[in-house]
Amino acid sequence: MGVLNAFKFRMNTLAIVLIPVCIAIDWAGHALAQALHLFFLDSIGTVLGGLLAGPWVGGLAGLLTNILSSGSTDPIAWSYCGVAFAIGVVAGIGGYYGWHKTWPGRIILYVLIVLAASIISTPINIGLYGGGSGVAYGDAMYAALVKSGWPTWLAAYLDEASADIPDKFITVVVATAIYFGLPNRYRALFSVWRRSPGEPEPAPAR
Amino acid sequence: MTEPALIFDKVGYAYEESPREAVSDISFSVDPGEWVGVTGPTNAGKSTLCLLAIGLAPHFFAGTLRGTVTALGKDSRSIKVIERSTDVGLLFQNPFTQISGARERVDDEVAFGPECHGVARAEVVERVDEAMRLVGISELAARNPLDLSGGQLQRLALAGLLAMRPRVLLLDEPTSQLDPAGTAAIFEVLANLHSMGTTIVMVEHRLEALCELCPRIIAMAAGRIIADGAPADVFNDDAVISKVGQPVFARLAREAGVTGPWPVQFQGAVSAFERARA
Amino acid sequence: MRGGLSLYVEGNSLLHRAHPFTKGVLMLSAVALAFIVPSALWVAGILVVLLILGTVAGLSRRLVTGAVAVVVPLSLLIFAVQGFANPANRTVVFALGPIVYYKEGLAFAGFVVLRIACLVVATFLFSFTTRPADISEALMQSGLSPSMGYVLQSALQIIPQTLDMAVRIQDAQRSRGLETEGPLHRRARAYLPLMLPLVLSSLLATQERAMALEVRGFGLSVKRQSRYVFADSTPQRVTRWLMALAPPAAVVARVAGWQ
Repeated sequence: MGVLNAFKFRMNTLAIVLIPVCIAIDWAGHALAQALHLFFLDSIGTVLGGLLAGPWVGGLAGLLTNILSSGSTDPIAWSYCGVAFAIGVVAGIGGYYGWHKTWPGRIILYVLIVLAASIISTPINIGLYGGGSGVAYGDAMYAALVKSGWPTWLAAYLDEASADIPDKFITVVVATAIYFGLPNRYRALFSVWRRSPGEPEPAPAR
Repeated sequence: MTEPALIFDKVGYAYEESPREAVSDISFSVDPGEWVGVTGPTNAGKSTLCLLAIGLAPHFFAGTLRGTVTALGKDSRSIKVIERSTDVGLLFQNPFTQISGARERVDDEVAFGPECHGVARAEVVERVDEAMRLVGISELAARNPLDLSGGQLQRLALAGLLAMRPRVLLLDEPTSQLDPAGTAAIFEVLANLHSMGTTIVMVEHRLEALCELCPRIIAMAAGRIIADGAPADVFNDDAVISKVGQPVFARLAREAGVTGPWPVQFQGAVSAFERARA
Repeated sequence: MRGGLSLYVEGNSLLHRAHPFTKGVLMLSAVALAFIVPSALWVAGILVVLLILGTVAGLSRRLVTGAVAVVVPLSLLIFAVQGFANPANRTVVFALGPIVYYKEGLAFAGFVVLRIACLVVATFLFSFTTRPADISEALMQSGLSPSMGYVLQSALQIIPQTLDMAVRIQDAQRSRGLETEGPLHRRARAYLPLMLPLVLSSLLATQERAMALEVRGFGLSVKRQSRYVFADSTPQRVTRWLMALAPPAAVVARVAGWQ
């Protein structure tokens, strides 16, 4: 069973109620980041949702964050909803194994989130913008690399990764800080999805 | 003699993360149509009592339940909270967390519960109108719930419960976050519901309000019931006086040297002072 | 601020009245086609069709201003990058000192920008003519679980509320000397104290909200009665199918040699 157990779909009311809150945290995190001129930071809620309540909650929060922002501020965002979904799923796997609780685990979590985000974004960037990422400094690097003979896909990947590496670092740090800022009793309410298959399904939450 | 609406039989409950029982040895029953006030200091176990009565403990908060809790003939262990939501309603303290957060209009918000239960459309409309009228928010029907004041929101939350037509209504400090006007409005609605035969169990720390409204009061301390009876008896009990206190009328009368039993209601206080002056 | 999330514009046009799925399929297949067709002329054709639809819906001005605001900044970047660095660049157009611009790259950039314009216009067209609440209602009527319907509706309500709160916290902190300028590490350090109070309170509220929802029967597997039924029709269904089949057909045509 292993990691597949984390993907068993068992959402209690609390997990469902958490999803919209995570989406709102994504939005608020992004808005505050804009005010401080700090990268994107639009997946803190997604990562937090994954850590607390598993890959489905994280994934759905990410997916819907992007789709809803397409409906208002950023019409292009929905093209990237798969990226946000993957970030939530990776955070959910991390939450399942408790990566966020140890320093090596946090590094693994961070690296995997950066990889998921950058690897999935790159082909979308190539399809959409012909290679750039729509961010000025990254695109300047892209242009310089391609001009000096690098393959476009590699330049496009580095362009994207140059944004993801700092952005996801702050995201993971803030999301784990929030996680550990929550009372124990509250975090425990979500633990149902971490139970192994042999364990009896207990009362819906705790 | 009809069957009681709510029976606690030697109930003890410990939350999973705590070694100590939050409530112990709780036994009482509430007859249909009664209005019972529950009071006590912080951590007396009043909220746990409400969670147990509706079944959120142990169905939402896991823990160890001793004894049995029976509401309208059904053991809380055997029925899920969502299944009994048309029988028993629970109003929480915070008006903001109780609205579903998913509806843009007040009347749609009230319809949320009946819709979850698959009530037919025409009946939903009828129930929503009735519930909004009962709590006096009919004129707010088209507003966004998020634009309402705390007092209006709490009445909206109550309407959301009433649209399910519960026979037993539990209220956990329903007015603790409201202003005086909002509080008065909620109490007026409850008095009206009481006169229509709804069974009400209300946790409340404002002793004066409790004594005016509830014919019966249960006082709790440290997870146990320390008194259960008419307001005048409960608040003349030494254990209650030391752990819970007394309504302001009784304190005034005592301070003024009036001999006990001390009055617990406004009218009682008026006559007690008149007697003392005479 | 409230309701600030939806771009819906009241109206009674054909597009406004169409079933949400019809508009959804229209948007998705227009975007897909824009990325399948072989030349800029075809993409321009799709863009024109979308703009005509928008004009019929009485939204031409909003559509154009909205799209220009999004597309122009992006296109400047794309022209700058591709005209300079596209690997196919051969023919010099002009030079700004050491930076030389080529015809091939600029042409490619034009193609890319047209496609993005299609994407943006199609998305706006959908958002302008469809109430978010209608989307979740339509999805639920076609079998989306009420829980997921709740997630959508609730997100639409909570986001503006949380953004309001974010603005308030920011104002409060600014009066206490929050630094929105200055070096990166200082701004990054200011971020967490802004986020924490906001996030903790909204997370902790979920516990009571979840209980309150269960008390109202949320999560029962009961057949839910629809609040209103969307007008759907055979022509609409046929249109949907045709539009849904267009992108795969275009792919087949491309594979078969459509240049």
